[in-house]
Amino acid sequence: MKTSSIARVCLVTLALGASGGGAYVFFASATAGGASWLDWARTALLAITLFWLVLGTSFGLVGSLLPAGRKPAAMAASPRGRTAILMPVYNEDPQASFARIAAMNRDLVRLGAESRFDFIILSDTTRDAVAAEEADWFARLLDEPGAAGRVYYRRRERNIGRKAGNIEDFVSRSGAAYDYALILDADSLMSGETIVEMAQRMDENSRLGLLQTVPRVIAARSFFGRCMQFSAGCFSPHFARGAALLQGDEGPYWGHNAIVRMSAFAACCGLPELSGPAPHGGHILSHDYVEAALLARGGWQVHVDPRLGGSFEEGPDNLIEYAKRDRRWCQGNLQHRRILGAPRLLWWSRFTLLQGIMAYLASPLWLALLLTSLLASVMPQRVFADSVMLEAEAGLMALAIAVFSILVLPKLLIVLRGLLDGRNKRFGGTGAVLISVLVEIAFSTVMAPVMLVLQTRAIAQTLLGTDGGWPATARDGSRVTLSEGFAASWWIVALGISAIGVTAVLTFDSLVWVLPVALPLLLAPFLIAFSSAPLAKRSWLLGTPESLDPPRVVRTYLEVFEAWSKTGVNHFAQGWQLKDAARVSA
Amino acid sequence: MKYQPLYPAYGELPDAPLAMPKQVLERPQQPRIGLLQRALFALSWR
Repeated sequence: MKTSSIARVCLVTLALGASGGGAYVFFASATAGGASWLDWARTALLAITLFWLVLGTSFGLVGSLLPAGRKPAAMAASPRGRTAILMPVYNEDPQASFARIAAMNRDLVRLGAESRFDFIILSDTTRDAVAAEEADWFARLLDEPGAAGRVYYRRRERNIGRKAGNIEDFVSRSGAAYDYALILDADSLMSGETIVEMAQRMDENSRLGLLQTVPRVIAARSFFGRCMQFSAGCFSPHFARGAALLQGDEGPYWGHNAIVRMSAFAACCGLPELSGPAPHGGHILSHDYVEAALLARGGWQVHVDPRLGGSFEEGPDNLIEYAKRDRRWCQGNLQHRRILGAPRLLWWSRFTLLQGIMAYLASPLWLALLLTSLLASVMPQRVFADSVMLEAEAGLMALAIAVFSILVLPKLLIVLRGLLDGRNKRFGGTGAVLISVLVEIAFSTVMAPVMLVLQTRAIAQTLLGTDGGWPATARDGSRVTLSEGFAASWWIVALGISAIGVTAVLTFDSLVWVLPVALPLLLAPFLIAFSSAPLAKRSWLLGTPESLDPPRVVRTYLEVFEAWSKTGVNHFAQGWQLKDAARVSA
Repeated sequence: MKYQPLYPAYGELPDAPLAMPKQVLERPQQPRIGLLQRALFALSWR
């Protein structure tokens, strides 16, 4: 039996046991005076939500206990195969994206490996004014060392199939000229060493269809962005290591910062349109999970390797941008229910798709648990002794503490491990890491109810058939004012007020359970505005190795960007928004 | 056959097509009459 199969059986059994045990304690405590249909319903809701919660956190638990493993020894300087480094762009800031290409190219030139790599910008930009900017900055890119004949740009007139269609267009026209494709996002940045190593791994293992890195978030400026950046830097590699143990040869693909074998990708990943109209049918939005499942179906290995460093991306700097991105991901993941029953998919691939769906469905299920619990408390009172009542309260409190501990334990174990293996030093020392982890836990706890209602709304919008589309995400770190925060979250405040009001009137004793959820909802505008405030760049609080001591390729990128800024005009940097682009192109 | 790009391309991309056959992700839907037939068949057995 393979290691991944044993790990799957163990962790799924653990999650089933823990959720079953939790549901039993809940049922026994909640039904001390006799069970009603509501008690059965909320016990079922708790069992389902707890299963996915325990399974998710068990990845972190296992990852924090597993040895990191040794990276394969460095191989020859240049890989044998030719790689197309693809950067799909869509109305993004071309100066920043193309400066990242320049930095990656300089790194490859430094290593003497550039002859095996071409850069290809695949533009799906719809605004002519932005396309004109792309042409300007591309001309600058051609002056970079060794760029002649190795750096290409093309723009589609119609962006059929969005990003997946953009890549498919390239593969079907030029794919046979390359052995591998390194797929990036407009905000991706990778070191030359990592790019070369990934191509070499493809050379060495002819069954490897896709190799995914775990990108670190860089360049976050706000408190919100720094929390995400710290979480991705400190926790994600451990969670990914734990998950990789279960995934084995059926690992994930996150759509960027990954290398694919061109022939395998072409043979397995031609995505059809789903029957019916959007948002349930039409083009597959979250194509990456599906492509990973199709590669595995075709017999190819799909691996994720958290040991591969030198892989970076940027993230949203405020909750509004985060929620917009999350809305798109939610729609894409829910669409996967149409693919769960696809013929010949491996069972683990189906399970992974289901896990992605549950990542969003969990929110309305938690909300339903809260609502049914409130409803149960206003039902005709059952009469039972005070001692039974106290015992029941103690049982529920113990369960609440257990759920919180499940969420926090892996994070604390990661700090402890960092203390023992010295990793904490790269984050500014154990003291800094511990304080940062506590701040991150506090912030994510306070934000959890807000995220819960945002995700519930996203699911409702998707199921009602409102197509979210794919608006470009602004990653410019612009600060959100209190009035903007209120405009985006007034309905969340109204929900919080309603929850407190209804509970106070109907079942005052239950307020103690409702306030931890409702208070953050009341504070949503303040949380959104406050968390978008900038944090000092080199601050030890929420510091990561990349923010405290930027890697070479990040420094090169910043140098190139700055040098280009001196001689060119970047309308995006001057606060140019897409609406301005629309005005210019109209 | 050399393709003519429909879009502005800076630097000529290699003319090296690679087929990407569309994958089958959905099972063909059973016609409703099939369900009815199955139900009638099950009833006739009783």
